[in-house]
Amino acid sequence: MTDSIATYMTDDHQRCDHLLAACERAISNGNWTRLAEQATEFSKALIDHFDMEEQILFPELVAVSPWASGPTGMMTMEHGQMRSLVEEFSEAVGAQDADACLGILETLHLLIQQHNSKEEGILYPMAEENLADQTPDILTRLQAA
Amino acid sequence: MMGTGGLSLDQAPPIDVPARFFLTAPLFAIAAGLLLAWQGPTLLISRWMPGALAATHLIAIGYLGLIMCGALLQMLPVVAGAPVPAVRLVGTATHLLLTLGAAGLAWGLAGGGPTLLWMGAGAAALGFLVFVVPLAIALVRARGAPGTLLALRTAALALALTVALGLLLVAVLQGWIRVAEHTRWVDTHAAWGLMGWVGLLVVGVAIQVLPMFYVTPAFPAPMRRWFAPAVLVGIGVASAAWILGADLVGQSVFGAITLGFFGFALITLRLIKRRERPRLDPTLLHWWAAMLSLCGAALAWAFAAPPTLIGVLLLVGVGVGLPAGMLFKILPFLTWFHLQHRQLASGRFDLRIPHMGSLLSTRWARVQFGLHLAALVLLVCSLWVPVLARPAGIALALASLVLLVLLIGVARTYRRFAALLRSAPSKAGPQT
Repeated sequence: MTDSIATYMTDDHQRCDHLLAACERAISNGNWTRLAEQATEFSKALIDHFDMEEQILFPELVAVSPWASGPTGMMTMEHGQMRSLVEEFSEAVGAQDADACLGILETLHLLIQQHNSKEEGILYPMAEENLADQTPDILTRLQAA
Repeated sequence: MMGTGGLSLDQAPPIDVPARFFLTAPLFAIAAGLLLAWQGPTLLISRWMPGALAATHLIAIGYLGLIMCGALLQMLPVVAGAPVPAVRLVGTATHLLLTLGAAGLAWGLAGGGPTLLWMGAGAAALGFLVFVVPLAIALVRARGAPGTLLALRTAALALALTVALGLLLVAVLQGWIRVAEHTRWVDTHAAWGLMGWVGLLVVGVAIQVLPMFYVTPAFPAPMRRWFAPAVLVGIGVASAAWILGADLVGQSVFGAITLGFFGFALITLRLIKRRERPRLDPTLLHWWAAMLSLCGAALAWAFAAPPTLIGVLLLVGVGVGLPAGMLFKILPFLTWFHLQHRQLASGRFDLRIPHMGSLLSTRWARVQFGLHLAALVLLVCSLWVPVLARPAGIALALASLVLLVLLIGVARTYRRFAALLRSAPSKAGPQT
């Protein structure tokens, strides 16, 4: 296991990317049963990731550097946007509407990418720096979440 | 508030700033296509034909210049955490000056006379200058993916040199100054423009966007780090040697750069093949065609094919196709993004914002790609079968017309939803 918050969280981003791609593969194969499973797995991974940040990482960061509340608040708002797209996606999967599924995933994918590049480029390095002492503790809690 | 730069959404420019660049650009590609359809095979006899010079600048400045400037204004805050200062003012001035400049310069080169020529060139140069200075400020401040930033910085430098050389050539044409062997200066101007500005920008965008859009493996680290500066130094050495008459040095360094771009295109095609997202979306089709055109141009250069063939492959194959493909993603995403913020600001959650798939029809985007491919194939063939020149021009104009109609469609949907969302007072959203 890694001993870096940034690496741990970045790996989790990539796990979500792979799961989104797996949903798209299921759509292109026209396999709705498979897609339903993939969609559930992808949604859970993504929402769990948001929860880890909102419940563990962001509060810890804000506790040691209060001015971080601006950027973490912004990230939380973007989580909200992605949560509502995830909901829209599961409706489209339920309706077996392939075009809507692909269009929503495309939007979600781009939103995730630009969100992740901000977190990976700015927020995680900031967390590494400010939370150096608590890293082992926070990593344990993130892994347990 | 140090270090929070790139996280703020307010840094993204208002959507109408990039949108006006994107909606004007296709008009210039349509004009280039119509010019070819009107003049036919005469335009393609050599790169010195007035029509060829005009079409080249319609595409290079009017189409490519506008799309790239608009995209950079939009992209820098997002990928590099670096907003362009006074973005609305810079955007408005750049857009107006480049539009007037491209039209005037092309008309002047096509035979409209020296006054149009120098006024057009002056306006275009001023447009790039107004753009490059704030861009440089943003790029100096920028952080983020080093590979992309390096390529963007070198591309901006190459743009500045291309413009300077272009102005020098206009001064020569006007008889204000004299240079020995001015064709060598033209070659250098073209090399900085095509290899430096367009080439490095494509490299920078590819490094950033391919792994992001399609979940491909990253470009090899040495390529991200060394390719752009090596190309920049290479063009510098090669063009100095070329102008000084050291033909062998000039040719071999240009050859090395060409080989480098050939390698870049092959790596890109391989990464695309290894992508995780399976969809063959129209943007990807355009990447594909552009990289094959780039390979073709490199081979054409190696086998001493006529310069018009290299020009057609680079300008139309890469320069017209790739930006069209990128716009299929960029404008719908920006539209969704800004509408979403309006929704958050207005609290109108009863309205569902259209996702990207319903903003721009993938089917019509595929039709656009088909027309573009037809134009490219006809254009290449017309170098040997002249009668195909006019159909090639018509296909080029049609492809860009379909692009324009698709983009207008996205803009109209934006307006419709923005109006619906305005019915409640808006407070926190980005200005639009």
